[in-house]
Amino acid sequence: MSWSRVMALLGKELADLRGRPGIFFPGLFTGAIAILLPVFVALLVPAFTGERLADSADLKIALELYRQQPGARALGPEAAIQASLFQQFLVLLVLSPVAAAMSIAAYSVIGEKQARTLEPLLATPLTTFELLLAKTLGAFLPALALSLVCFVVDLTVAAVFAEPGVARSLLTPRPLGVLFLMGPMASLTALSLAVCVSSRVNDARSAQQLAVLVVLPITGLLIAQIGAGFVVTIPVILLITGVLAVVNVGLMRLGVSLFDRETILTRWK
Amino acid sequence: MLEAESLSKTFGPRTAVEHVSFDVRAGEIFALVGPNGAGKTTTLRMLAGLIRPSSGGVRFRGQPTAGIETTLRAGIGFLTEAPGLWDRLTVRQNLKVHARLHGLPRPDRAVDAAMDLFGVTDRAAEYAAVLSKGLRQRVALARALLHDPGAVLLDEPTSGLDPESARDVRELILRLRHERRAVLISTHNLDEVDRLADRVALLNTRLVALDTPQSLRARAFPARVRVRFAGPADGHARTLGEAGLTDVRADGDTLSIGLDGAGLQTPDIVRRLVAAGAAIEAVEPEEPSLEQVYLRLLRGGAS
Repeated sequence: MSWSRVMALLGKELADLRGRPGIFFPGLFTGAIAILLPVFVALLVPAFTGERLADSADLKIALELYRQQPGARALGPEAAIQASLFQQFLVLLVLSPVAAAMSIAAYSVIGEKQARTLEPLLATPLTTFELLLAKTLGAFLPALALSLVCFVVDLTVAAVFAEPGVARSLLTPRPLGVLFLMGPMASLTALSLAVCVSSRVNDARSAQQLAVLVVLPITGLLIAQIGAGFVVTIPVILLITGVLAVVNVGLMRLGVSLFDRETILTRWK
Repeated sequence: MLEAESLSKTFGPRTAVEHVSFDVRAGEIFALVGPNGAGKTTTLRMLAGLIRPSSGGVRFRGQPTAGIETTLRAGIGFLTEAPGLWDRLTVRQNLKVHARLHGLPRPDRAVDAAMDLFGVTDRAAEYAAVLSKGLRQRVALARALLHDPGAVLLDEPTSGLDPESARDVRELILRLRHERRAVLISTHNLDEVDRLADRVALLNTRLVALDTPQSLRARAFPARVRVRFAGPADGHARTLGEAGLTDVRADGDTLSIGLDGAGLQTPDIVRRLVAAGAAIEAVEPEEPSLEQVYLRLLRGGAS
């Protein structure tokens, strides 16, 4: 494998993305929702109703569960519930890079074919693995950057509007693990799947529809946290990250074996 | 330089190319012509290492290339039918990505040289999307030659270009021959083939004919000569008929004479006509167009 070839194509991917800012809209939209939801639930609703979250009987269990986390006991009841809500909605923030990655990756191979730029590209010494790796990184790095931007905004919102200590609670290993271990791995899974599918179908929408399957388990995790009192602990984060890493290696191999230059060149119109 | 050895390619039940063999030599322009669906692009893709032959193989610089298609692709420049430039990248960016994909040690220098060679230096900072079709083709040609390949494959290099741009591209192709590269062009433009090609392969799934344009003419049509007189030609046709020439057609002041008849060559014919008192104004070989040759050979009418 030649890293210089991968970097060459990656540079092209990033330069090409600069000309298509609209492709980031799904990721930005998801990120905005993930940032605004805890603001709405933890800050705006109590402000409008005049009822503190700590006084709500419905949130007692959530408070107790949250208080079991290391370092959570230092926060007052209102701050602890706000911190709990901000952290729970961080799982939703994981969807932001996933959405961005899917938009970019689903277009990757299909876009080259539709623009008739794939054949000159395949006529270079670039191998299939190098091509797919560059395509994957070309979607992953912007998605990661988007994830970081969303987190900084989320952190700023918490620091400015939430109780003291809430923002600091987002900088502890658990939320950071969700965002920067589980999130990137889920993004990689989504876009590896999208690149795989993008190599086999001849329109970007089909690739996006199939890759969206990755969103389901993440959404399920969010529902389990909020509805069933399930806490994403550090061991759970590491387990999910590990499983996704294995899945990603498998998907990359699958992608290389599924990428059929001949079919793509001769049968896609 | 580049050899096709009994290349065959099937797609499911359909045979696209069947047992095609030829070689393209250094300093030669070799044209691949044939009707739509004849297998020209498939042949080019096999030669470029983009798709694998079902049977047969490709040799590059004498070496078989099966299993080392990456190496083959590094040594060949391929101009695809569509220029295939990234519209959101500038001309320089487009070329630089390909220079780096080819692992050139000084990509910027190679890009500068290629842009200079193909006259697009002043367009370096323009996005590919805004270029005219002719300019896009120039940039695509520059891209195909960035890595200084020994063999260049050009798929429909002047297709859709205006006459001026097409002439520019043809001049660039001639330059490749002077640089001793092996040049293979696939085209429908037979006039272009006539102007450029040293040898022509007529493909229709199988190889129908392969020779120089002149030899293909001779194979497809018997040699003819056209003689123009100062007056009507009818009387002179009788003179030649008496000399044993049976294929003589008169048209106003001109005779078209088939040379396959009585073993007479052009000087003999002229001598006889002058002896018979003919006032000859012009004598010229009558060459069928390559299109006529192409159609005759495709229909199996070679003599």
